[in-house]
Amino acid sequence: MTEQAYAAEDAAAALARAQELSSTVREGAKWYVRYQVIYGCAAAVVVLAIGLLGHPYGVAIGVGFWGVVIAGLSVYSARQHVARRGFGRWHAGMIVAWALLYAAVLVPGTIWFQGAVAWWLPGALVVALPGLIGGYMEARR
Amino acid sequence: MTAPIEGNHPRHGLDEVIHAPVRFSIVATLAAADKAEFAFVRDTVEVSDSVLSRQVATLEKAGYVAVTKGYVGKRPRTWLALTAGGRAAFADHCRALRAIAGDTT
Repeated sequence: MTEQAYAAEDAAAALARAQELSSTVREGAKWYVRYQVIYGCAAAVVVLAIGLLGHPYGVAIGVGFWGVVIAGLSVYSARQHVARRGFGRWHAGMIVAWALLYAAVLVPGTIWFQGAVAWWLPGALVVALPGLIGGYMEARR
Repeated sequence: MTAPIEGNHPRHGLDEVIHAPVRFSIVATLAAADKAEFAFVRDTVEVSDSVLSRQVATLEKAGYVAVTKGYVGKRPRTWLALTAGGRAAFADHCRALRAIAGDTT
């Protein structure tokens, strides 16, 4: 075997090793799937509480529940050992999408549709989408 | 017979700092991450704390890796991340490796 063939094999082996390490990082970053799914589900619960429970209990329960979930998720994420490439931008995008949808459901809902299941149930699903879609896409990486 | 032209072979595109196997593994791990904890990199690359510290110091000196220290609760944590320069150097290094891997004639 020629020296050049050896070099080619070494280079291919190094590239394969890089792929393997990249896969290990992706596996280590799977915690973000759980984070996003919990975020999405909690966002839906908050919207349902605010929209369907009587004032002021719905707001109090919804905001209290949200505070507990976000505190828990913050501790959970702080304890993780790795964040995949692009995590920061993706996470910011997910939060912005949630905030826009949350406002789009909450503002008209509290003005015109208080207690209307036909508004708040689909609204809860819409608000959950950024987290649920994000979790699904993260799991497929 | 003409002498080979110095610098034409793709191996000249290899980065000397990244080329060492352990440093290559460290950089390849960090390339897939925004940031990674020291212990995660140590376990992934399968080296001791002291070896990782030494190699990270070399990469930091080259401007390829940024080291951040902090706390999670009362536990001290060290985070490693590739700098923009480190990412560019690794991309160039991998480009050279691909060229070499394809160059079997």
